[in-house]
Amino acid sequence: MAEERFLQMEDLSKTYPGVKALDKINMEIRAGEVHALVGENGAGKSTLIKILAGAEIPDPGGRILIDGEPVSFAHPLEALRRRIAVTYQDLSLFPNLSVVENITISRKIEEGARHIDWREMRSTAQDALAKLDLDIDLTTRLSDLSLANQQLVAIARALVHDARLLILDEPTSSLSAEEVNALFRVISTLKAQGMSILFISHKLDEVFAISDRITVLRDGQHVGTYLREELDEEKLISLMVGRKIRFMQYEKRSVGKPLLEVKHLHKKGNFADISFTLHQGEILGLTGLVGAGRTEVAQAIFGRIIPDSGQIYLRGKEMKITSTTQAVQAGIAYIPESRQTQGLFLGKTLADNLSVTRLDSLANQFGIIRIDLLKDYVGKWIQRLSIRPPYPKMLIDQFSGGNQQKAILAKWLAYEPTVLIVDEPTNGIDVGAKSEIHQLLRELADQGIGIIMISSELPEVLAVCDRILVMRRGRVAAEFPKDDATQEKIMNAAILGGDARQDVS
Amino acid sequence: MKQLLRSKEAGILLIIVLLSLLITLKNPVFLTSSNLLDILKNNTVPGIVAMGMLLVIITGGIDVSVGAMTAAVTVIIGKYMVHAGGNLLTVFLLGCGSGAILGAINGFFVAKLDIPPIVVTLGTMSIINGGMLYYTGGSWITNIPKWFIDFGRIKLLGIPVQILFLVGAAVLTHWVLRYTLIGRGVFAVGGNPIAAVRAGFHKDKILLFLYSYLGFMVGLAAVVHTSIMRQVDPNAFFSFEMTVIAAVVLGGANVLGGEGSVFGTILGVMMLAVIQNGLILAWIPTYWQQIVVGAIILLAVSLDVMQNRRRQDQLTRIDVAGEAPFGG
Amino acid sequence: MENNKKEYMLCGVLAIIVIIMSILSPDRFLSLYNLQTMAFQLPEFGIIALGMMIVILTGGINLSITSGSALAGIMAAFILSGRVMVGASIGMSIALAIGVILVTSVLLGLLNGFVVAYIGVTPILVTLGSKTLYEGISMWLTKGGAISNFPEAYYWFGNESIIGIPVPMIIFIIIALITYVLLEKTPWGTRVYMVGSNPTAAVFSGINIKRVLMQVYVYSALMAGLAGVIMLSRYNSAKVDLGSSYLLQSVAAVVLGGTNIAGGSGKVFGTVIAVAILQVISSGLNILGVNRFIIDMITGAILIAVLTLNIISNRRESRRKSDETVLVAENRG
Repeated sequence: MAEERFLQMEDLSKTYPGVKALDKINMEIRAGEVHALVGENGAGKSTLIKILAGAEIPDPGGRILIDGEPVSFAHPLEALRRRIAVTYQDLSLFPNLSVVENITISRKIEEGARHIDWREMRSTAQDALAKLDLDIDLTTRLSDLSLANQQLVAIARALVHDARLLILDEPTSSLSAEEVNALFRVISTLKAQGMSILFISHKLDEVFAISDRITVLRDGQHVGTYLREELDEEKLISLMVGRKIRFMQYEKRSVGKPLLEVKHLHKKGNFADISFTLHQGEILGLTGLVGAGRTEVAQAIFGRIIPDSGQIYLRGKEMKITSTTQAVQAGIAYIPESRQTQGLFLGKTLADNLSVTRLDSLANQFGIIRIDLLKDYVGKWIQRLSIRPPYPKMLIDQFSGGNQQKAILAKWLAYEPTVLIVDEPTNGIDVGAKSEIHQLLRELADQGIGIIMISSELPEVLAVCDRILVMRRGRVAAEFPKDDATQEKIMNAAILGGDARQDVS
Repeated sequence: MKQLLRSKEAGILLIIVLLSLLITLKNPVFLTSSNLLDILKNNTVPGIVAMGMLLVIITGGIDVSVGAMTAAVTVIIGKYMVHAGGNLLTVFLLGCGSGAILGAINGFFVAKLDIPPIVVTLGTMSIINGGMLYYTGGSWITNIPKWFIDFGRIKLLGIPVQILFLVGAAVLTHWVLRYTLIGRGVFAVGGNPIAAVRAGFHKDKILLFLYSYLGFMVGLAAVVHTSIMRQVDPNAFFSFEMTVIAAVVLGGANVLGGEGSVFGTILGVMMLAVIQNGLILAWIPTYWQQIVVGAIILLAVSLDVMQNRRRQDQLTRIDVAGEAPFGG
Repeated sequence: MENNKKEYMLCGVLAIIVIIMSILSPDRFLSLYNLQTMAFQLPEFGIIALGMMIVILTGGINLSITSGSALAGIMAAFILSGRVMVGASIGMSIALAIGVILVTSVLLGLLNGFVVAYIGVTPILVTLGSKTLYEGISMWLTKGGAISNFPEAYYWFGNESIIGIPVPMIIFIIIALITYVLLEKTPWGTRVYMVGSNPTAAVFSGINIKRVLMQVYVYSALMAGLAGVIMLSRYNSAKVDLGSSYLLQSVAAVVLGGTNIAGGSGKVFGTVIAVAILQVISSGLNILGVNRFIIDMITGAILIAVLTLNIISNRRESRRKSDETVLVAENRG
């Protein structure tokens, strides 16, 4: 392996208002190495990538050096000129353009070209695809490709930049096993040609299969960089998790009657043959890798996605839900994954965000909202969930993530739902607030509400849930009762498919 | 999708052919070469402006100030010719130049200040219109020099010179959109603005460029318009922007951005032209045109959105295990 | 914290403009005649602005608002002028005319609302299309001319006063109060703001956003119709471009009044003050002998200037917000 230093980061920090996303990172990437970057959600991986790609500007004081020479990127183009190419997790491709252009357009910009030579672009794209052993019609519109092929197009785009550093952000999340192997072969070839690869993945088996060195980030800090040989999975996980507080473990409760029954739910391109039962007073964990179809199943129950076939029964009665309004009326509440874009009303006050589900009950007989009722209501829920600071008129934007999430929870608790679905409820909030939310969910279950908790954070799932369903590629791969579940078993089922239900592909 | 786009254009073409047949049955004058050339000539002005509007709409923007801008440029070149004389070259330079500057002002507010295009252009529409009408007092400019009128009468192989300008604008726009990086940038920004910036496009430069390009086309259209009318009426472009936007939208461009073609836009212009001409030839009062156009816009965009939604619904989000392979 | 800073500032601006105008033209601007003229002119503009505001609150725009006024007005004018329903008593035909205006407005609003809410087309396009459509229908009905000669009793709506207060002003005050209560004091109004603030979150909160949007467009059209009632009476005629100059002005007033053009926030009081500001400016300049077209230019310039200032002053805040969005993406990665 080449020992030549290629890229160094010195004291790289990035501060967002109220949050230090990266705190004095010092690391280096060598020429011709595959360097894995691992860490839990919110550890700072994406911020680091964005800084290297020129999409974010680091705090003053930090430096990036290439071949010993300090560089700074104010625009993604400047990073590309330094031969740093990224495939983002969201791919960042153009759905309305052809494969050729998606592969070559950023190269053209980088070259400073003014004109488009389609023939040349086609041959460039063809070469890149050939390197990936890929046979895609170049004139296909990107949006007509499968996600896996779109992923490969994104990688092909990085190839045409003659990148010295290729950053792959979760490149395998939508690839099948064969496709992952093909990608790894490509990575090996590129590495042999002297290219450095920064590989971000939460699939630890892949990290061990492909990387030379592994850097661990935790809470924005650089925990350490290790040779692959120095680590095993157990050690790596302990480095990622660190001395984190273990979640309070809840006892498994006896559960009530069946509340929500899902039978053979199917939606092409989303999920297939989903069946499960949620009982009164039960917290059912729904886990699996990102992109396994968990959110889609939840949104089908909530009326946001209309399934092609299958039935949903609530208290034994079949529901035909075609809109979220109907779902809410039936007593189903859903707390979406993305707080900022789907959950909160930014620019509105805490009181507005808390009261939105119960407005009608706060009005008098003339339909006018009674200020006294509103005040009592808001005050009550601020107190019950100990939302801090307790200012009803403060804009929701100014609260911390944990308190924002509590506000969202509160508006649904006030609605008194029969079934509550929470999608990654503790994503990106601090440990203390996480525990508070766990506690709340348990209390709700004790009151008889059925809860489906979607989460990728296994310790959380194991601590809180009574039963755990693992999804993989749109299907239920395994089911574990609380006592029988371990992180290893769940990960196994999520990555390889469970033994309980055989994978059909 | 390319096929779908093609079929979209084929659909418009089919409607135009059917309409033409219908009108010819009612009045055979329609299908004479002189009438067809007349139709073309009389629609060069919205056609040329639609070329610029196409770029704006592909990025998901809109410009409602084109009517005011076109009127303003006709006044500028009209006054210039009457008072300073000038020659053909200076008239074109002045027309296209002043148009491009007006467009660049819109572009500045949209690109640099992120103000929604509809609001910016509503504002500039009012400013430009007010300024122009104050300056002219609404009165016509009639004594256009003879050399310019002669220019407007030129025919090449029997084809009026104005049509050649439309062809030129269409070819130029097609070339810009297809063979220049900035043209592809227009599609990229319309398709996925975040990815466009990440790929290295300068979004604000692209926006500034295309509003200026639209201004340039407006200038060109103003010169061509004056060569047809041989006089300047400051009020001639009342609700002209509607015609142009309608043509682009009918031509298959998606107002949410990302889609649109020169060929489709030309077909959109032709469709409006045929409707208008047909109503005249069929002795149906022209206000029916507005009713028909308004109804067609509502129907066309509604169908488009519904089709899109169906596609969206069938979109593959998850590569479901065991499901038949798709795409590729 | 949410507060009324914007509204106080607007009141200050209004006061300053009134003072400047009074100094520039003390004898004419502050004359009873001018004040009364303004009090008669302002209501139709104000009502249209409120109709525009409620749509902008949801993040949309209604470009067909004045064309709707004109079309509804023209329908009523046929009855008032005795061209249809010949022989009806005067009271009867006035009642009928107002009924026709309201029914027509609701129908026009339902059309816009249906296409925006249920089909999901962008409001700009829908209302550009319906603007063209309404103008075409108006043209077809009037053959391009004006319909006039209404019964004298109908003048009351636009030209009479009750204890010194112009009737249109009374109508406007009532409508502004109703709109204020509806938007800022009822669950429905809160939902309107929520839909504008974040439609996805509104859907995930169980709000039936399609129905809310539909109602908003109907309300907007209803405002257009009520403005039509006053305009018919004031101008004693109806034609295609009835009230068309208020289209841009109403957008300007709403934005000037502090309503976020992207939706989600804005106060009825702010819009009302902004309407007064624009009215004072245009009346004042008119008295000073400034050309009408220059006044148009100033209105357009105010629109852009206010937005530019808003955006520059909000830049820091929005930058913070986008950082937070990045952070969310980070947390998900």
